[in-house]
Amino acid sequence: MTDASPDLILDARDVSKVFGGLTAVGGVNFGIPRGGIVSLIGPNGAGKTTFFNMLTGLYKPTTGRIVFDEKAITGGRPDKIMALGIARTFQNIRLFGTMSARENVMVGEHARMRAGLFGSILRTPRVRREERHVSDKAAEELAYVGLPPNTFDQLAINLSYGDQRRVEIARALASDPKLLLLDEPTAGMNPQESDELTALMHRLRDERGLTILLIEHDMKVVMGVSEYITVLDHGEKIAEGLPEQVRNDDRVIEAYLGKGAVHE
Amino acid sequence: MTAAMGNRNVKIAIFLVGLFIVAILPLFFNESSGFIDDCTLALAYIVMALGLNIIVGFAGLLDLGYVAFFAIGAYTMGWFASGFYAEADIHVFVGEFASSIPGIHVNFLIVLIIAAAFTTLAGIVIGLPTLRLRGDYIAIVTLAFGEIIHRIAINGDEVQIAEGFPLTNGRQGITPVDKIDLPFIEPFTSLNLRPWYWVALALALFVLFVNFRLRDSRLGRAWIALREDEVAAISMGIPAVKTKLLAYGTGAAFGGMSGAFLASYLNTVNADQFAFSFSIFVLAMVILGGLGSIWGVVLGAVALTFINYRLIPDVLNDVPNKVGLDFDLSELSFGIFGFLLVIMMVLRPEGLIPERRRQMELEQGIGTGDTELDLVEP
Amino acid sequence: MEAASLPAAKPKALRVVQDWLSKYGLIVVLLAMPVYYGIQDLSDEGDLSRLGGNIVDGLSNGSIWALVAIGYTLVYGIIELINFAHGDVFMIGSFTAAGFFGTIGLTAGMGIPGLALGLFLTLLVCMLTTGALNVMIERVAYRPLRGAPVLAPLITAVGFSFILQNVGLLWRGGSQEGIGDLINSQNTLFTITGVEITNGDLLAMGTTIPLVILMVMFITRSRLGKAMRATAQDPEAARLMGINVDTTISLTFLLGGMLAGAAGLIYALYQTTIWYAQGFTAGLIAFTAAVMGGIGNIKGAVLGGLIIGIIQQIADNRIGTEWTPAIVFAYLVLIMVFKPSGLLGEQTREAG
Repeated sequence: MTDASPDLILDARDVSKVFGGLTAVGGVNFGIPRGGIVSLIGPNGAGKTTFFNMLTGLYKPTTGRIVFDEKAITGGRPDKIMALGIARTFQNIRLFGTMSARENVMVGEHARMRAGLFGSILRTPRVRREERHVSDKAAEELAYVGLPPNTFDQLAINLSYGDQRRVEIARALASDPKLLLLDEPTAGMNPQESDELTALMHRLRDERGLTILLIEHDMKVVMGVSEYITVLDHGEKIAEGLPEQVRNDDRVIEAYLGKGAVHE
Repeated sequence: MTAAMGNRNVKIAIFLVGLFIVAILPLFFNESSGFIDDCTLALAYIVMALGLNIIVGFAGLLDLGYVAFFAIGAYTMGWFASGFYAEADIHVFVGEFASSIPGIHVNFLIVLIIAAAFTTLAGIVIGLPTLRLRGDYIAIVTLAFGEIIHRIAINGDEVQIAEGFPLTNGRQGITPVDKIDLPFIEPFTSLNLRPWYWVALALALFVLFVNFRLRDSRLGRAWIALREDEVAAISMGIPAVKTKLLAYGTGAAFGGMSGAFLASYLNTVNADQFAFSFSIFVLAMVILGGLGSIWGVVLGAVALTFINYRLIPDVLNDVPNKVGLDFDLSELSFGIFGFLLVIMMVLRPEGLIPERRRQMELEQGIGTGDTELDLVEP
Repeated sequence: MEAASLPAAKPKALRVVQDWLSKYGLIVVLLAMPVYYGIQDLSDEGDLSRLGGNIVDGLSNGSIWALVAIGYTLVYGIIELINFAHGDVFMIGSFTAAGFFGTIGLTAGMGIPGLALGLFLTLLVCMLTTGALNVMIERVAYRPLRGAPVLAPLITAVGFSFILQNVGLLWRGGSQEGIGDLINSQNTLFTITGVEITNGDLLAMGTTIPLVILMVMFITRSRLGKAMRATAQDPEAARLMGINVDTTISLTFLLGGMLAGAAGLIYALYQTTIWYAQGFTAGLIAFTAAVMGGIGNIKGAVLGGLIIGIIQQIADNRIGTEWTPAIVFAYLVLIMVFKPSGLLGEQTREAG
């Protein structure tokens, strides 16, 4: 992933984030090729989630610029960045607790909907059509990620952990993103569920042409799915490359086994 | 599916029967009975409480300055439909009597729309800078705005918009205010309260309808999402400020419409009406009935209106004296509302008729604020 | 670099202006009124004694607000709640003082030693009453709601504010009540460069300064104070460290309430008029002070209190008392919207 690489869907340059004097992310250059599956790994506290939050606009970077799909998104509002085509899931699942699985996914389609205040009050035929369409599409996405159909209208918080993860992915997919950010998607999953998720990621890329960036701790998943890996430690990029290269990188081994061995 | 449809039909039938009873209710009472008076007030307060319900109940924004919209709506009526600006001579679609006196006299329905427009505008002006703040800060800023409006109302007689056109009439109040005078109908009078009641009922039904429609819409979903998890909501593409502003502006418009109606009905626009305690009076209706619960809020508004205007001053007023205490119960009225707020929040925060989601949120601590990701960045 | 698609960054000059405004904008806004009227005084009267008088009166008033503001800031610092009833606790302090004067028969003609002793006793009684009251409020209205949505305790706080106002109303009636001018508060003690210092000024500042110093020492030095700060930083960690969080929170309310009681006494002596509704306005003014200084920060609360006292006094004296609340609330709105972290505000808890 050098500068010469022509087709980066996301290109972050010299991005850093400082919290009251503490550098969480320091001067990271990072690119994602269109249609790739890329992993961001590193010990806990390495700055991975902070980096995600900058990509999605939850944090404003202290320095640097981020270009997505040839548009500068540095410091933009989260909802606008989402509308441009970056959708995400959260490390600790953040579904809307009082909504059904289907309603959660319908929220993900918010940015693609048109119904405004007066349309909603009058419930015009167009608004009705849109609601029906969005509800159907939510069901499609839930089916696509493998949620059992009889659970679509159950409250999201009553679903199993693995199914909640799926709903979160479906909610992200509902906005028809170009780039999907997954923050530790297999955390708390059993091996079978992890395998299913890995398969889902491949399908998303192959069938829908999505680009995927994931933060992941499970090395089996990372090595199994990633085409390219970037390693952060203490907010800095310490290695990047193909899975093979990263696996054998001394600094990575040191970061994980030296200090990071305690964390999983 | 058919069961659900049948259930729905039953509900509609109950609603229609109830509506019929409510609609013919005044016919069983004297034209100027105190009961109809209380009912009319209750209906006007339902409009306000349902407006505030959109802000507090749906969008989860604690507005402690809702009285500001009552004030702006009422003053709109005072400015555009009274003899207050006697130097002007403007008459728009009004009846014979109003046409014959000096001042600005515009038709009630037009003023109602102007009031809604003014309050929406005020809602946007107040909301645009403040709705990015955290919830408790929003509460205090709206309170401060409410107090600023109250002070302007009190001192507005010193402020001349133009020579001979003071902003308000301070504590003296703008009075009289034009009575409602609609085309094809006899002009309203203070002797026959039935038409007032029906106008208030129509307003209340309209707001009820809007509440139901908004609750089950794209916007309604967005409000729930924002109040339960703002970080997740904005990450899912919901523009926080704009979406909150829609709730705030809509709620404001209803406060303004009710205020305009009350100005005409009560025949005065008096600065003392617009104190902080009124905001709490309306908030107590929403809390008592159940945050976000549409029928609950209706119940809360009716209950508190009757408690405040009937039970406390008339029925129970002497109780303290009878048990040997040296005060009237009416002196306690806002203490009673304060007590009600505390008791409800501690013992039954979901209100008398709980809304399903709100009850879950309260019981399971959903939306308890987010310490993990602080969005208030320097 | 494929930089062609990048829009131009903001012009540097604009960024500089923005930075400057966010750093110093609040200070400029706060200085606007004193500077404007200072220039006016200089051109009209040739000296600054009128402004000086405003400032001295403002500092006296402001020291009362500072004491109340510390109560807001302590409570907010520890449980992130705007204790809306705090202003009314302050009002109860004034009422307790007025009641106790009558009980012990304190009058202006008693002679300085008797009066001083009586006032000191009153101070203790007021502080204990309001301290206990504040602890009770926390126990009844806030503690059951820990873990509930943020707005729930705020609503009960508003409810309690109303209850206390009603208590005040029943206690001493609904109109403004003059109480005896025990300390002859408008008596000029001495004059510095044309600015008069009165008994009242001396009392206000002479009580506030030691109390604030005691408070800061207690919080920074004592074990309980350290427990308070630890709980404010991270309640969960504090609990794990063996700190009794409930007790610590009660203690915070006790301290805040005691300061409000002292402020209530000073207010009664200084203003010589008390009213059941005084707490509402005072509460909002003091809250403005706390936010202005940076909520959670004790020094900030004191600084904010003094500044808001001066602003209030200038507004009273130059624009008219009837507009003062509106002006103070306008400051509140401006600060909360444009600089919610205040003058000395620490950054909110942040996670990476």
